[in-house]
Amino acid sequence: MRKISVILNLILAGILLAGCSDAGSADSDECIKLRWVTYDAGSTPLDAKKVIEAANKVSAEKIGVTVDLEFQSTEKINLMMASGEYYDMVFTSSWVNMFDKNASAGLYYDITDLVQKETPALYGSVGKYWDCAKVDGRIYGVPILKDMGAEDMFRLNSDYFEGEKGMEIPERMSFADIEPYLAAYKEDFPDKYPLAMDKSGMAGYLNFLERIVTPIIVIPYDQEDEVKAIPFWECDELMERYRLLHKWYQAGYIHPDAATIESAATDKSYPVRTGVAWKGYRGYSNPADWGFNVKTSIYDGPYISRTSEQGAMAGICVACDEERAAACLKYLELLSTDREFRDILGYGIEGTHFEYLDNGTVYRLPAGADRYNTKLYQTGSVVNASVESVSRTFLSDPNQWEAVYEGYDENGIYSKAGGFSYDPSRKEDIITALQAIYSDYDAELRTGTSDPDKVVPEIRKRMEAAGIDEVLDDINSELKAFLADGGM
Amino acid sequence: MRPHRRKDIRKENRDLMLMSLPAMVWYILFCYLPLFGVAFAFKRFTPVPGKSLFVNLFANSKWVGLDNFSFLIRSSQMPQIIFNTLFYNLIFLVTGIVLPVFLAIVLTEIHGKHVSGMVQMVTVLPYFLSWVIVGYCLYGFLATNEGQVNHMLRFFGEGAVQWYQSPKYWRVILILTEIWKTTGYSMVIYMCAITAVDRSLYESATLDGAGFWDKVRYVTIPQLHPTISTIFILSVGSILASDFGLFYQVPLDSNSLQPVTQTLDVYVYKALMQQANFSYSAAASFLQSTVGCILLICANTVVKKIDKDSGL
Repeated sequence: MRKISVILNLILAGILLAGCSDAGSADSDECIKLRWVTYDAGSTPLDAKKVIEAANKVSAEKIGVTVDLEFQSTEKINLMMASGEYYDMVFTSSWVNMFDKNASAGLYYDITDLVQKETPALYGSVGKYWDCAKVDGRIYGVPILKDMGAEDMFRLNSDYFEGEKGMEIPERMSFADIEPYLAAYKEDFPDKYPLAMDKSGMAGYLNFLERIVTPIIVIPYDQEDEVKAIPFWECDELMERYRLLHKWYQAGYIHPDAATIESAATDKSYPVRTGVAWKGYRGYSNPADWGFNVKTSIYDGPYISRTSEQGAMAGICVACDEERAAACLKYLELLSTDREFRDILGYGIEGTHFEYLDNGTVYRLPAGADRYNTKLYQTGSVVNASVESVSRTFLSDPNQWEAVYEGYDENGIYSKAGGFSYDPSRKEDIITALQAIYSDYDAELRTGTSDPDKVVPEIRKRMEAAGIDEVLDDINSELKAFLADGGM
Repeated sequence: MRPHRRKDIRKENRDLMLMSLPAMVWYILFCYLPLFGVAFAFKRFTPVPGKSLFVNLFANSKWVGLDNFSFLIRSSQMPQIIFNTLFYNLIFLVTGIVLPVFLAIVLTEIHGKHVSGMVQMVTVLPYFLSWVIVGYCLYGFLATNEGQVNHMLRFFGEGAVQWYQSPKYWRVILILTEIWKTTGYSMVIYMCAITAVDRSLYESATLDGAGFWDKVRYVTIPQLHPTISTIFILSVGSILASDFGLFYQVPLDSNSLQPVTQTLDVYVYKALMQQANFSYSAAASFLQSTVGCILLICANTVVKKIDKDSGL
């Protein structure tokens, strides 16, 4: 309990101090300085200060807005939101700093009218994706255009599988199709484990479900007649995958201690890894990174739902006045329309951190790779930034996004829930208990360590005792009303 | 001694007060001032960004009575969680007193200073390791493939054990780990108390023909009595709290082990990690403190009944 009281004390101290200090007012007369807190994706880039300074010079001149950009961890952002600290703009999404929860709680500025009035170019560029930022028909955040659908893929050592074993790696396969590859490797190397796995499970292993209460209550994409939220154990596809994983675990394709291993990222010997990206993504395939050639094979997706579209967003603080809120929007607009400016926050300072290659893509220089290696979604529009090539010779397609977005329109598997979101605050005590129950089993389930046919009935029994039916009824009656209204 | 004059006493008190001032300021700042935060436990905390905490807590948040406590009751595992918490704490209560006292007595009786110093150092050292490191050291022994214990089992022709999936061993493993880590440190406290015992008591006991065990039984233990009672009463106060590191980090949060490793703190952490709900955490912590406080007062009364001088 000491931990909790320490946290409480920290908040108290933080707030008392924040109360005294000047809550982020304008720096000088003409420039508005915004406090923008973004997700740090693990670490703060070392050269962040320099890069932000360079970006501020440009943006001050162009729109009279500068930013004080902070990279913070999920826990810090959650704490900041829960304690009512002041900020202007914050990273929010369906997986870090939950957008739906915060927007329903009234923490974000309603930008429905402002965005159309002040920043028509931004409004136009986001287009149909505004829907995922709506709660009760009002817009509370700016979706950052990136890969909007989830595509899950296997990343295979093609030198081994294609070169040595003569197996073919297709562009698409099903989840179960990976089995012969695992078996072939295990036969050659009985002491090794072919499938990279740690306690967080395979990358994006739940992406093929729309998650209403992550990861317990879901809506499968392929529901035939009635669209309904169901508990995860009623989803046959998921259960089938858990069974397969358990089979692979027993066959020795997965490390016996996978459920307690923190990360399998550093061990590069695994011939089969998993990843979530988009068609044409080449970041996984640089042979210089791995020591062998890598081929990806997509097994899921692209699944497009409210959850996947909310992969990265910017929320504006409800305590902002209209001027500051408009400044936030203008800044986001500049990031979405001015490629050269966008590349500064995305890749750093040209010549120091990155350089442009002849085909228009970007190559990170060693200083950039070490000292400013951020993910694009952390700092604004991904689509408007230049595409990165992983080496000078291994080039990416500079126009990859057009093909990706076309792919969403043509092959995308769309959610039938039509952008439904659920405000968990009414049933928070039950959901909290459910999360605690789930966390007693999750790591062993997703790594294949435990037998789903034994464990899942147990989870079900406990969750039913904790009142999951009450939550399901609540969600489904809301969902029904929402769909009857014609969705968004 | 010459009787103090009034002025002297006052001056002496003032000096002592001055010396304890920093501690008192610390207590007021960090223990009494934040007490208003207890209100968190009975409020649905809905802050408005940019407002001060007091406004957010008292004006912007609704009173919800005992609603914040309901998530604790929602878990069907609660009886087991409470059982685990009490089970380990009661065992630690006993081992945390018997073993250090025994060790302290033995060490003070050892004549070789080098041996005694060596044993002290070796037993105190683990106390300074963090639980995370202890957890990974243990993993080095118990890992399924590369662990030392399984290497040994295989060497003797036994099958390897999946330790992190076998809950039956873990009550013992956790208790042994806790003993290994804390015994040395508590021992130091008792050694100090033993050194303070008047040597002439032992001398007269020896003259009366007392052997080693008689001296322990009739001199050392009675002299240690107040120290033991104080430590006992204090540990009873935290009977619903548990060492989060021991129960979460050491078993590496392994799912299979949760029936034997889940204590109240672990449950609260797991339930609230993703939610960052201060009201719930405050409720849980309030409950622990209240139960602890009641038990502490009870224990104190009982101890006082048994021996008038040993209470607090």
